[in-house]
Amino acid sequence: EEEFKWLLQEEVHAVLKQLQDILKEASHRFALPAGGAEGAAKQESFVLSTAGTDQVKGVLTLQGDALCQADVNLKMPRSNQLLHFAFREDKQWKLQQIQDARNHVNQAIYLLMKRDVNYHFKTGSEVLKLMDAVMLQLSRARNRLTTPATLTLPEIASSGLTRMFAPALPPDILVNFYINLNKLCLTIYQLHVLQPSTTKNFKPAGGSILHNPGAMFEFGNQRYEVSHVHKVECVVPWLNDALVFFTVSLQLCQQLKDKISVFSSYWNYKPY
Amino acid sequence: MNVPVQAVAVWGKIAPSHSITAIMITDDQQTIVTGSQEGQICLWDLSSELKISSKEILFGHTASVTCLAKAREFEKQPYVVSATENGEMCVWNVASGQCIENTKLPYRHTAIYYYHCSFRMTGEGWLLCCGEYQDVLIIDAKTLGVLHTLSSQSSDWINCMCIVHSARIQEDSLVAVSITGVLKVWELSSSLTSIQERQDVCEKESKSLDCLNCQAIRFCTYTERLLLVVSSVCWQVYDYCDFSLLCTEFSKSGQCFAGGEVLAAYRLIIWTEDGYSYIYQLLNRWAQMGNSHKKFSGLSKSIYPADGKVLKETVYPHLLCFTGLKENKSFPFVMGFLNERKEPFYKILFSGEASGRITLWHVPDVPASMFDGSPKEIPIAAIWSLQDNFDKNLSMSEGIIDHLCASKYGIESAVVTSSVYIPSLDKLVCGCENGKIFVTLGLKTVRARLLENVSLKGNLSHKVLNGHSSRVTCLLYPHDNSVKFDPSWLLSGGQDSVVICWNIFTGEILHQFILQAGTVIELLRSPENFKFKDHSIVCCVCNDHSVAILHLQKKECLLHARKHLFPVKKIKFDPVENLLIVGCEDDSVYVWEIETGTLERHETGEIAKAILSSIEDSEYLVADALLPISQESKRNKNPEYKSSSSYKLGMVSYNLTHTEKSSDKIMDNSLIRQPFTVLPVKTKWNSANFHILLFDLEKLLELLLSSQLCGLKSSNSFHNLDTIERAKSTTEKRALTLKRNKTAGSISTVDGQVDAVCANQVSGDTNAVRSLEESGGIKRQKKMKSSRKIRMQSSGNIDVDIATDTAKLLLSCLLPWGVDEEIDNLCVRHLDILRLQCPVSFGLLSNESHISLMLPGWKCTDCGVLEEHTLSNLFSNRVFDLSNKYLAATEGQTETKEEPVNNTYGAKGSETVIFLFNRIALINRIINMPSLHMCFSETSKHHSPDFRRGSLLKLICCWSDQSIKIIEAMQAVLLAEVQRTTKTLRKTAVYREPLAIVENGNGKLQTLPKSEESLFLDILHFSLPLFLFFIAPVSALKHGKSSNSANFQDVEDVPDRCVLEESESPEISKSCSLC
Repeated sequence: EEEFKWLLQEEVHAVLKQLQDILKEASHRFALPAGGAEGAAKQESFVLSTAGTDQVKGVLTLQGDALCQADVNLKMPRSNQLLHFAFREDKQWKLQQIQDARNHVNQAIYLLMKRDVNYHFKTGSEVLKLMDAVMLQLSRARNRLTTPATLTLPEIASSGLTRMFAPALPPDILVNFYINLNKLCLTIYQLHVLQPSTTKNFKPAGGSILHNPGAMFEFGNQRYEVSHVHKVECVVPWLNDALVFFTVSLQLCQQLKDKISVFSSYWNYKPY
Repeated sequence: MNVPVQAVAVWGKIAPSHSITAIMITDDQQTIVTGSQEGQICLWDLSSELKISSKEILFGHTASVTCLAKAREFEKQPYVVSATENGEMCVWNVASGQCIENTKLPYRHTAIYYYHCSFRMTGEGWLLCCGEYQDVLIIDAKTLGVLHTLSSQSSDWINCMCIVHSARIQEDSLVAVSITGVLKVWELSSSLTSIQERQDVCEKESKSLDCLNCQAIRFCTYTERLLLVVSSVCWQVYDYCDFSLLCTEFSKSGQCFAGGEVLAAYRLIIWTEDGYSYIYQLLNRWAQMGNSHKKFSGLSKSIYPADGKVLKETVYPHLLCFTGLKENKSFPFVMGFLNERKEPFYKILFSGEASGRITLWHVPDVPASMFDGSPKEIPIAAIWSLQDNFDKNLSMSEGIIDHLCASKYGIESAVVTSSVYIPSLDKLVCGCENGKIFVTLGLKTVRARLLENVSLKGNLSHKVLNGHSSRVTCLLYPHDNSVKFDPSWLLSGGQDSVVICWNIFTGEILHQFILQAGTVIELLRSPENFKFKDHSIVCCVCNDHSVAILHLQKKECLLHARKHLFPVKKIKFDPVENLLIVGCEDDSVYVWEIETGTLERHETGEIAKAILSSIEDSEYLVADALLPISQESKRNKNPEYKSSSSYKLGMVSYNLTHTEKSSDKIMDNSLIRQPFTVLPVKTKWNSANFHILLFDLEKLLELLLSSQLCGLKSSNSFHNLDTIERAKSTTEKRALTLKRNKTAGSISTVDGQVDAVCANQVSGDTNAVRSLEESGGIKRQKKMKSSRKIRMQSSGNIDVDIATDTAKLLLSCLLPWGVDEEIDNLCVRHLDILRLQCPVSFGLLSNESHISLMLPGWKCTDCGVLEEHTLSNLFSNRVFDLSNKYLAATEGQTETKEEPVNNTYGAKGSETVIFLFNRIALINRIINMPSLHMCFSETSKHHSPDFRRGSLLKLICCWSDQSIKIIEAMQAVLLAEVQRTTKTLRKTAVYREPLAIVENGNGKLQTLPKSEESLFLDILHFSLPLFLFFIAPVSALKHGKSSNSANFQDVEDVPDRCVLEESESPEISKSCSLC
């Protein structure tokens, strides 16, 4: 029982402190605009690259959770003509995944801060509940980065992203940005309009992260088919760091939980 | 399909844990609603003297409740919406406990506000939601579908919001603060149409406030000028006109503000996370200088922009009052404040703790500080918790087997930590905290627990299995769903990390598996299609995240997989390659080879997901090739795995949802043919278990009718009542012997067709011998087909016997005892319905996974002491009114019925039981299917000239419109019927009993069959057409529509009661088989 008390009073706080430090480090990676004293978060540029061909080239500039510049060159497969498009100066595109992950981490930190060193844990279940809450936030944060949203093609077509470019995107091109693990990905879909006569085997495609050529959809009374898909990506180093931090802190949480539950199984303590 | 199931809860001494995460008080100040981390919602009665008493607990959510809000205009419909961590949303009727609507969206809400603009909106209004997603969602309050979003320029999560409704501005707007501290304003009333047309709605204004972690924002409706913003470190007051900061007050170190509300003009209440609250008066420096009147009288009207600046200098807070708690400061609190200006209502500050305790403070209308200017403390008005209620009503909160312990071990009773009900054997197995395992007969135990009869308690047979040294944590009866296991095996796992395999019939230990891996959390049987060298195996999950695979025949542990870092979430078997696939909570997957016990693969991320999903496919592929039976059980199996995983995930605290779901599913598939089931429910944070008794009304009715039919036939053929009695006793005997033969333990996967049961019943005694012989034979032969036949027969016989007992039990639960002493006595004597030991907690099943249960102490506020003798089981005073109305409506019927009723009731109580039961089932059915009311009432007018039925139906329809609870209606009808029958009983009592019997004996040959038939016909006549009407659309799916309507026509063609006997019996049998 003495040992359990020690665990609650000393060990728990040590682990919580450690957790907080890790998460703060992770949070810094997300470069919270309000957290940094320098005002605006710093801008980072990444070069998009594909493994094989160099049909798509481009530079993306990331500022915190927002894509503030995008500069993409697309070499049309048939005509070999070069298509260039970039973000409008006044607009930036929020990457929801990063924003959500950042918010989840901050929630976790806030939960931990509420139980600082001065706080006195009385029961094990109290710690377990706190750990559950923190772990929930952390796993959500991680999942946001690891699992991109599955969108249908009409959803992509109708998103605000299409209106972000100057010069405006040609109507037969769709773009989509997302995060997958530590990579920032850009997919470009080239479309061609389906004739109304060929409606027979029209099958609208469902939601997916990456649509394959041949996927069909209906948007604005027009039917389209995807003819070419280009996917380019770039590694964002700090996302990788953040993911590692998440994993480490999740393991810490679980270890603490296990320690506490070991005590509870040896000796029937009352939760309240 | 709506299964009319009546649930009764048997609680234990320890209340289920309820860590409050959300709390609200309804607008009428009569109900407190709390949401818990465990996922349950609790309804508490709040009396006008501010006394709290728990009323009902609502099950249905599988994750922690994040917020509660009203979902309709409360005066019209008392609906409340709840949202959870995993995106579930549910609309509850807090008056009846019914779940009105539920959905699951991929959004996690942290705050919901109901918005309704009566003159410009169609539908039931909107729920404005914010949470862990961008911007504000608008959800339809009725369908819970997403209507639209309120978007903004720089989208982010919204932390808190409030609806600003101001007469001055003539515009409803939504003010919200984002997680980064940006204040945004959306116009609501002027953008109604554009929202309905799904056009983009952007914010009208956006301003960055310099505060992080904003907790609450409130608009002062008194001045229509001030905006209170509470963040965790400080609270601030802004001017609503130009959002300029007026004043800031920081919290004391170590305290976090959690919320606030405007009490009156310039008076605020702010509360903290640790349960303190402070009332501030905003003072005006100018006012103190004696210059105030001019200033403030002009405030709410038009104000120059410059005024804000002046205001800023003038306002500062002054602490008036505070509230606090002396003890238990450590728990996180959720607080709220209800501000009612109307006279009978109070200003109430309320808080809920993680320990499940509710505290109320009554804030005076004009709070004042002490004379010396120091703040005054407001005393606590009321404190209450669930456990208080359980302690107060000890008799109601007695556990299901407490009386067993009490009789043996004195006062000290063991807390049940795990239990399992074996429907095929009607055995209830309870594992206790002290390591003992009790094995009893389910129905008998329940009867002994609920009914007031000493003899029941004394001779209740039970076994105690001693083997575990500490708490029994899980039990498994593997034969239940899988034939491959020996029916005598019972597995138990304990805190001592030992799994024991028992012989359930003899109580001896077959084998002990010592795992050395911490507490055994879960025991699972392998899926039907998976075989390890032609043997089935059991899989057990331990506290240290390890998984052990036990081979029962060989009595060895095949594999103990110990490498998992995180709690096990999913377990799957690959039948082709003999692999065990373990999915962990961190989404990683471990693949173990069962034969060699080696770890084959360890994968994370996408690959892990792919592995898990691929196995699901292969399982399905295999299942297609197998028997359809196994498919069924597998389908039941899959959710079981999943939900057991979520149980471990810490999201589900009560295992209920999955058991609930699977059991309901089972009922749909008519896999369990038992009309009565005990459902054990386990709680997460405390180990105590409680039980829910489920009565399947339809099933019971079927069985009763079939038994009646049997009785009718046999009485026709033998012209003797005694033969029925004898037949019954023989069935009883048969049942017992069969039970001893273990073959009665029927496999619950056979579809019991009722007509088949009927047929078996009719063939009566001759079959009995054969079935015995055959059941002997089955043991040797183990032929699937013959065994199925026998099972149907034998279980049918048992069921009839159990059915009457069950029906009686349910009736005694429903009957309002103590209304009339004489009626009580007559009931006990003639109908063999026993008195209740204590009031019963009923439950209400709204749909497959939503149930509400009454808590001990529900009656305290509903009905006071009416007469000298206390009413013990009355649901509400309304029951009297209802029963009187019912009597009046059915008066005509009584008179015509009087004559036959007289005879039959005098002679046979069991018939009455059936009749009463029939009525209840009918009422239940009518109320359960509100959509069919209209169509029925029209058709009834059209088809049947019988006016009485119509009037009754109209009455009941009218009840359901008035949102009278089913339970109330059932009790009312029962009361009325009992009153009526006992009236006739009293008459016969004058003649004395022997005389009555002689009379019956004389007229045996003619009158008895007749009267019996007429009663029976009456029931049929009364209920069947109704029944058909209601069932027709449902059953049409199953049976051909043509046959159904044909039968229906037949029944309709039956003229009142002067029908020829020849036409009756086929009629009855037909209708019987139909229902």
